[in-house]
Amino acid sequence: MSKPNDLVQGTLDVLLLKILALEPLHGWAISRRLKSLSGDVLQVSEGSLYPALHKLEQEGWITAEWKQTENNRRAKFYSLTRLGRRQLESESANWHLLSSAISRVIRMSEA
Amino acid sequence: MRMEHWWFTVPLRLRSILRRGRVEQELDEELQFHLELKIDEGIASGLPPDEARYAAMRAMGGLEQRKEEMRDMRRIHWLTDFVDDVRYAIRSLRRASGLTGFVVITLALGIGMTAATFSMVDALIFRPYPVPYPSSVVSLVSTSHDNSFDNFSYREYLDIRGKTKSYDGVIANGVIGPVGFSLEPGAMPRVKGGLLVSGNYFQVLGVEPQLGRGFREDEDGVPGRDAVVVLGKDFWKHELASDPSVIGKIIRLNGTDFTVIGVAPETFPGMQVFARPDFFMPLAMARVFSTNPNKNYFEDRDDRELSVKARLKSDTTLEQARSELAVLAQDFKREHPQFNRNRGASVLTQFEIRTRGDDVNWKFGVIFSILALAVLLVACTNVAGLLLARASTRTREIAVRLALGAGRFRLIRMLLTESLILACLGGLAGIAVGYVAIGLLRTFSIPTTLPVTIPFQMDTRVLLASLALSLVSALLCGLAPALQSTRTDLVTGLKSADVDLPGRRRLWGRNVLVVAQVATSLMLLTASFLMFRGFQHSLVDGTGFAKVAKDHVLMASFDPRLMKYDAARTQQFYRLLGERVREAPGVQSAAFTQNPPLGLGDFDRIAFVPDGFQMSPDRENFTTTMDTIDEGYFATMGIPIVSGRGFLKSDTRDSPRVAIVNEQFANHYWPGADAVGKHFRLESRAGTPVEIVGVAQTIKYESTGERRTDFVYMPLTQHPVARMVLLLRSSGDPLQLLEPLKDVVRTLDPNLPMLEMRTYDDLYRYAAVEGPGVAINLAGTMGAMALLLAIAGLYGLVAYNVTRRTREIGIRMALGAGPSDVLRLVMSKGLVLVGIGSVIGLAMGFAVEQLMNSMLFNAGGVDIVAYFIVVPTMFLVTMLAAYIPARRASRIAPTEALRYE
Repeated sequence: MSKPNDLVQGTLDVLLLKILALEPLHGWAISRRLKSLSGDVLQVSEGSLYPALHKLEQEGWITAEWKQTENNRRAKFYSLTRLGRRQLESESANWHLLSSAISRVIRMSEA
Repeated sequence: MRMEHWWFTVPLRLRSILRRGRVEQELDEELQFHLELKIDEGIASGLPPDEARYAAMRAMGGLEQRKEEMRDMRRIHWLTDFVDDVRYAIRSLRRASGLTGFVVITLALGIGMTAATFSMVDALIFRPYPVPYPSSVVSLVSTSHDNSFDNFSYREYLDIRGKTKSYDGVIANGVIGPVGFSLEPGAMPRVKGGLLVSGNYFQVLGVEPQLGRGFREDEDGVPGRDAVVVLGKDFWKHELASDPSVIGKIIRLNGTDFTVIGVAPETFPGMQVFARPDFFMPLAMARVFSTNPNKNYFEDRDDRELSVKARLKSDTTLEQARSELAVLAQDFKREHPQFNRNRGASVLTQFEIRTRGDDVNWKFGVIFSILALAVLLVACTNVAGLLLARASTRTREIAVRLALGAGRFRLIRMLLTESLILACLGGLAGIAVGYVAIGLLRTFSIPTTLPVTIPFQMDTRVLLASLALSLVSALLCGLAPALQSTRTDLVTGLKSADVDLPGRRRLWGRNVLVVAQVATSLMLLTASFLMFRGFQHSLVDGTGFAKVAKDHVLMASFDPRLMKYDAARTQQFYRLLGERVREAPGVQSAAFTQNPPLGLGDFDRIAFVPDGFQMSPDRENFTTTMDTIDEGYFATMGIPIVSGRGFLKSDTRDSPRVAIVNEQFANHYWPGADAVGKHFRLESRAGTPVEIVGVAQTIKYESTGERRTDFVYMPLTQHPVARMVLLLRSSGDPLQLLEPLKDVVRTLDPNLPMLEMRTYDDLYRYAAVEGPGVAINLAGTMGAMALLLAIAGLYGLVAYNVTRRTREIGIRMALGAGPSDVLRLVMSKGLVLVGIGSVIGLAMGFAVEQLMNSMLFNAGGVDIVAYFIVVPTMFLVTMLAAYIPARRASRIAPTEALRYE
């Protein structure tokens, strides 16, 4: 599968879970949100967004529902499941652990 | 956590499988939605619509790849792929319906024959005892010079039971024997089969009666005290109409009142393969059922009539049990040297007992399994050959698929799915064939009033075995063609429609198939031909007397003990009966025997020491089979006396003991000398001397398949026996003697039952026609099938190869080759292959012949005739298979052949 080149593997999952934790969104809106949230630092190719969403759905972390958008078009809205919320919590805990460990290492080498 | 995970994911997977179309459609819609918004965005930023569209597509990075990725995410592609493969396979098989039909029929024959054979082998060898935890039930055997599977005596059984610690229980039973059964005292008894068992029999085996109870331990304690009986399930069902109130009722067995205490459960037909006991009686009641009033069954340590089994403790190994019993056997030897010289004991599993070398069931099982598997192998090579031929016509299709990016493994899977479907169809049809074949195996009847069933059946075990066979054959038939056709060289494959690659490997595979097929079918043909001739031969040798006797001899058995005759009155009865029937109208001659030759009963054994024969000092005696007869026997049965005389009226109880032996016996102990006038002693060196007064021709005694065996005849007057068979010889139809016989018996004792009245023809038909007939037919069917399959397969392969060379032949002929050159070219290769196959097949056939000789016929040398008939037949078939297409090819005009594709 194609991986987002400039994202640590697995980070995209956390980002998506985090975005959906705020409110249910459809794919297009998620991609807009990703762009605006991470600015130019994190770039996600729009093509790889859907396989990632699909994977989260198959894992049971998010669930999808067809609804009308504000422009009256049918779109697939994703929202977080209970399982997904738990996953997000453990993933972010992991992330904190990892990033603080890495920054400690980096500080050490500068000293 | 895990469970909750499934709670979410399982419905998703199910949805992906079951609502595949809808899921796909949603996928499309979602991506389309994104694409449209993206285009709108592009337009809004000022791009022309076309460019906006391209930009959007580029940003998405290829819609189809994305979809494919997402399909993989669902992790069900293995299944959807399989479903696709199955659909595709069914479509392509339907297109080649002729080939499919042929393959299915071929596999059906192979699998069906194997299933039928397996049902037979399973019943005879593999099926476990019908008791809980059957694998812990072991058999205890006494071993000696002459018999490694001997029984134990009652005394020995009690010792084993008391002194061993390896078992949860030790049981014993006699052999199933005839019992006169009646419901009321006055009624004429009918013959049923009864089995004497130890008091703990049901309890140790873990068999719970469906009605009433099993025996109590103490009911087997005192000889003759507790007349209780447990009924067999079939007897209860058929004779007593499943009467639920039967417990506590009285029935009469051999004239003694027995109380019914239980009915064996539906699941327990008994421990034997064929015999189904109608009654189970305690060992302590043995007196009522004994055939020999001279024997003291409860005391004689050498009266070995009990088969002993035991349930091994769960923490004891077979080795421990064996060494324990070996020690006990040493004790026996020390304490009772006169009965136990050179005797040991061993513990055997059910499998070891059933696969013992001298067991005829085992021999048949092995030989027919080999034959059946060979038929299956021929069928599989046949199918593999056809699939291979078919695969090479698909070279282009496969090449296109590979070029489009299909993985090799994926293609192999697709091709294997095809052969799997073929094998499943073949397996289903094979089960039908097996069902019919088993039905045929069951049809032959055994002429006895004892309860005997043919236990071959299409049960779960056979079905599972057939299924496994189908799967194995799918792999066998499909793997080689699949591997080979996916090894295609893309460039050549795409360029030409349907052309053999020049590579040698491809041809090599096909050549191996031809050779294997010739070899296997040659072996099969040889084997079945040998069996056919072996049986024919065994039917001729030593059964000459029977061919006359069968049309003229009537038999009826008597057991005066059923009417409580004592020994003296019994012998008086036989003397009077003999005298009177000889005067009856139509009776040419009459005789008594314990068991007519080729009859169903077992012969007694006699222990003897021949005078003047060098017997090794550690040996106590020799034993062999014997019969008790009267003076009319040899004339009535038509068995010639070779030298000396038959028994005479003057051989009475008080005259010197005499015996007649057969030629085999005479040559064995007095080679080159006349045995008449020689003596042997009964039991031991110091035993009663018996003079040999005559030598009779060696015949077949127990079965037509037996080897030449030693045999001794004793006169009824000097060796009284209770149960005898009367033989009456007529000049015409033996059944005409039936009424006169009944009249005579009525004058002697109107209540005495005549058992097993039948013509000798019945016995002869079973022993020499129907029994071997099953084997001959089976062998013949397998041979014929092998030949048919081989012809079809060879013809297909060779003809196919020749057809593929049509273009080459055209070129050769255009360059000036004549039809005869073409014929020679094509046929020489076929002949080389057949030649190689024949040599291998002959070697295998020879090996099979050795095996069969050692197991069944003991004919010794090689049956040259078989080879002289079989080999040329195979050659002829292959030559024809090569000739017909070669001839057709050589007749094609070169112009046409060159255009041929």
